[in-house]
Amino acid sequence: MDRVAAVDVEALEREALDAITGAADLRELDEARVRFLGRKSELKTALRNIRDRETGMTLNALRDRLEAGVEERRRELEAAERERAAAGDTFDVTLPGQAIPRGHLHLITQIRREVEDVFLGLGYEVVDGDEVEDTWHLFDALNMPPQHITRSPLHTLYLNGDVVLRTETSASQIRVMESRPPPVYVVSPGRVYRRDTADATHSSMFHQIEGLAVDRGITLADLKGTLLHVARALFGEEREARFSTDFFPFTEPSVGMAISCFRCDGSGCPTCKQTGWIELLGSGLVDPNVLANVGYDPEEVSGFAFGLGLERAAMLRHGVPDIRMFLENDLRFLRQF
Amino acid sequence: MRVPINWLREYVAIDVAVEELAAAINSSVAEVERIVRRGVVDRDGNLGLYRVGRVVEAGKHPNADRLQVCRVDVGEGEPRQIVCGAWNFGPGAAVAVALPGAVLPGGQRLERVTLRGATSEGMILSERELELGPDHAGILVLENAPEPGTPLADVLPLADDVLELETTPNRPDLLAVYGVAREVAALYGAELAPPPGHATPHTIAGDERVDVTVEDRDGCPRYVGRLFRQVRVGSSPPWLKARLVAAGMRPISNVVDVTNYVMHALGNPLHAFDVERLGGGRIVVRRARDGEELRTLDGTLRRLDPRDLVIADAERAVAIAGIMGGEDSEVSKETTDVLLEAANFEPVTILKSSERLGLRTDGSNRWEKGVDPYLAEQAATLATELIVELAGARWTGEVDVRGTLPERPVVRLRPERASTLVGLEIASGEQRERLERLGFDVGDDWTVVVPTWRARDVIREADLVEEIARFRLDDVPFTLPRRRSAGRLTAAQRLRRQVEDVLVGCGFTEAYTSSLVASDPSADAIRLPTPLTSDQAVLRTTLVPSVAAAARRNLEIGNEDVALFEIARVYHPSGGARPSERVHVAGVVEGGFARAKGAVETLFGALRIDARFERAQGPRIALTLGGSVRELEDCLGAFELNLGELLAWRPGVLRYEDVITFPAVKQDVAFVVDEEVPAGALVDAAREVAGPELRQMRAFDVYRGEQVGPGKKSVAFAVTFQSGERTLSDEDAARLRERIVSALRDRFGAVLRH
Repeated sequence: MDRVAAVDVEALEREALDAITGAADLRELDEARVRFLGRKSELKTALRNIRDRETGMTLNALRDRLEAGVEERRRELEAAERERAAAGDTFDVTLPGQAIPRGHLHLITQIRREVEDVFLGLGYEVVDGDEVEDTWHLFDALNMPPQHITRSPLHTLYLNGDVVLRTETSASQIRVMESRPPPVYVVSPGRVYRRDTADATHSSMFHQIEGLAVDRGITLADLKGTLLHVARALFGEEREARFSTDFFPFTEPSVGMAISCFRCDGSGCPTCKQTGWIELLGSGLVDPNVLANVGYDPEEVSGFAFGLGLERAAMLRHGVPDIRMFLENDLRFLRQF
Repeated sequence: MRVPINWLREYVAIDVAVEELAAAINSSVAEVERIVRRGVVDRDGNLGLYRVGRVVEAGKHPNADRLQVCRVDVGEGEPRQIVCGAWNFGPGAAVAVALPGAVLPGGQRLERVTLRGATSEGMILSERELELGPDHAGILVLENAPEPGTPLADVLPLADDVLELETTPNRPDLLAVYGVAREVAALYGAELAPPPGHATPHTIAGDERVDVTVEDRDGCPRYVGRLFRQVRVGSSPPWLKARLVAAGMRPISNVVDVTNYVMHALGNPLHAFDVERLGGGRIVVRRARDGEELRTLDGTLRRLDPRDLVIADAERAVAIAGIMGGEDSEVSKETTDVLLEAANFEPVTILKSSERLGLRTDGSNRWEKGVDPYLAEQAATLATELIVELAGARWTGEVDVRGTLPERPVVRLRPERASTLVGLEIASGEQRERLERLGFDVGDDWTVVVPTWRARDVIREADLVEEIARFRLDDVPFTLPRRRSAGRLTAAQRLRRQVEDVLVGCGFTEAYTSSLVASDPSADAIRLPTPLTSDQAVLRTTLVPSVAAAARRNLEIGNEDVALFEIARVYHPSGGARPSERVHVAGVVEGGFARAKGAVETLFGALRIDARFERAQGPRIALTLGGSVRELEDCLGAFELNLGELLAWRPGVLRYEDVITFPAVKQDVAFVVDEEVPAGALVDAAREVAGPELRQMRAFDVYRGEQVGPGKKSVAFAVTFQSGERTLSDEDAARLRERIVSALRDRFGAVLRH
């Protein structure tokens, strides 16, 4: 009883808090902590010898207050330390951080995903078509007559008489439509192959993304609106689109899309060959023969289709000068994107 | 197709700026690749400095043997003194003169100069200097020229813009200036002149037999032959040369120029033969004989194929039909009798021959797209008019060999259907007018009769809808389909993206390599029968060799931290018509087996796939789920996995497991075992006896050396015991550990290392 009563709580607290708040650095603070809260401190000794509940509560509360005081002062001192270090210019924030290796997606994959995501947002599915196709799905069903120039072995790589490496992703259209009744809203990205000798703008293997919407009441206006949406997603919200007559066996009417030049905004530059416009892709309303070939009724449904060359889009948008760079896999190139 | 605007205006009178015209054509007719401005610049009065001049005097320059000093009347009263290097004229000649200050077609400004002491106040021009023809041997002498001082532009097409069109293959009718004019008339609602030659004043002056036999009517549905006598072959007049040059063709002689001119005007290629060089004076249209040869106009001796259609005389081929004439029978300066061919050839025959021979010409380019057979006679008529007028010839004989020409297609149009499909209300009156201007006959009941020149292309209502839509493309609104559909990536597509992202996070960069390779490790890999090149001959069954090659190239270049991956298809024979295609992921990385395996383990971890690795045949190869990990000879680590298999092994929804409430007990233990014992086998055995409370057991060190003895190794494991139901006591952990130790001792003779 006597020993406990010997502790003057108020005086001890005053003395301790003075020492704590008065500590000039972390070393002094630690000295104060040991003195007032250490194993041999007056408070700890008193706590070990508690005999009654009330004293215990009082002393425990005091201990909590002192510990909180130490913590608070420690934070203050540490913050001041950091400030001093920074103000003293001893810490060089411009040094590089610790390197954490990061790889890069191929630019074509990045663009593929962008286009896929735009169409996922519009409610389209993504379908992956096979690269080896039969001539029915690649040519006949797409309304390309037997003598069509693309079917020549001078343009197409044949595995045998009626099996070929697909020259465009359009064959996926047929596979999808054969597999289900309308409506169909799909995009289909992938590799395509042509018997083209490689140069800056030609490659025997490149990538396309095919789009197809077939439903009741699809119009040329829907095609224009959808493709403008895609063009703006890829090339900027300020883009304008211009459509012009074109020809593809599998669409009628066929239209090509050009977008306002994103480099010069239409005033003329090398990218747009001084015209202010850049041809981007071919498209059109699905030819009624194609619909009939998959058992759809062209009087009931209509549709639009388009094919976008991913390398072309990448070259345009990023100014890549040579299509062959996409297959050279030079890390200096790949790591730019 | 080059369309000179001056030529175009002969057929359709329009008054719009060439840029505007080009934009309209580009939108509705054919792509305009560019506008070429030719000849004398029409700016700042430049054209006014070009005059017709009459040579008053001409004599040798006193100080220069090769120059003449002339006095030329250019309508100023006093003749000008002009020094000239040409000698093909004399006093009285009408010439083309540019006055000082004139900007020449090349951009050079003409100055008053003194040449060897004689002042020259202008320049007498050659046709090449005016970009009107190739001739630079002498100056241009004008025939039937008007008064001196007349603006030269009134006599010659000095300035011209040329539209370069890239036409689509369905529109051979646009490979003709007249065909483009028809479209321009429809664009602007302008009047289209009747086709050139339609009101020719020239009639046949004789009834000579023209001996033409068409043995192959399929290949040659029509052959109009016309015979001309007393032909004077010479050079063409300036206007004709100018048009050919503007259209991108080289003037050769009046007769040949006429055939080219008519082809460009109307779209029907023609050919002219020297009758005297035709054996038997006759024409036979047939397929080539086996082994038959022909030296074509370009001087090349060509071996013909029995599928090639040829024009022959009584003995031998004299032309490859529709593609190129033969050297022997070509019209030359000595030619006096000409047989003009205005035929029609079947497109596929010409296309295939052109491909086999590797020979594409202005003619084949038109034939392979399907030329209107009705055009032959029209072309013959225009050519006749010009040959008679320009070469002073007599037209003495004619034949038109043909079967029944195709009927014009008849198509029903529903104007409201057109508006619906386009998504724009187009008045039926406008639809009717547009079609009629394009040459369609539209009945009151909207029965549409297609013109002969569009008969291959327009056969259905959809084709008519295009004819209407293409003129209103700019007015069609931008809308989205009304239906809201729901789209999402498939599980396989999500997996692919996840694999891409995980590997990128692991420091791998994505490569794209060719699906076609020079060789493949699999003997069953599919070979292309006729590859483009020998290094693109086989459809690969594995990605690693290609990715490794890309990695090695990067190392050779000196790129650092090489780590590449690729996701692509591989191809295996399926027994069916098409191979089976599987999507693989492969990676190649500096740092050997361990780095490659680390990436695969991270990938499996991200995919929540619990996979094992087993040693396979060969050094440093491990088989795992869906593929393998290996070390290549040059210490590159490599892996390849079949994404389809990974997809099958992905777990469904993950269940919560309590790993927080009860603390884990962590220990390190090391076992000494024989070298052959794989660490994985120790872990498997430990799991078997310790059960689920063995949360993790991961080898972190392998030691070999004196302390463990020869043929032995010590494998150290970090072991974690944990229960989801209670706190494991020290005794519990010791018991689990003892189970493991004794199991490993029994099975592998493993000795716990202290």
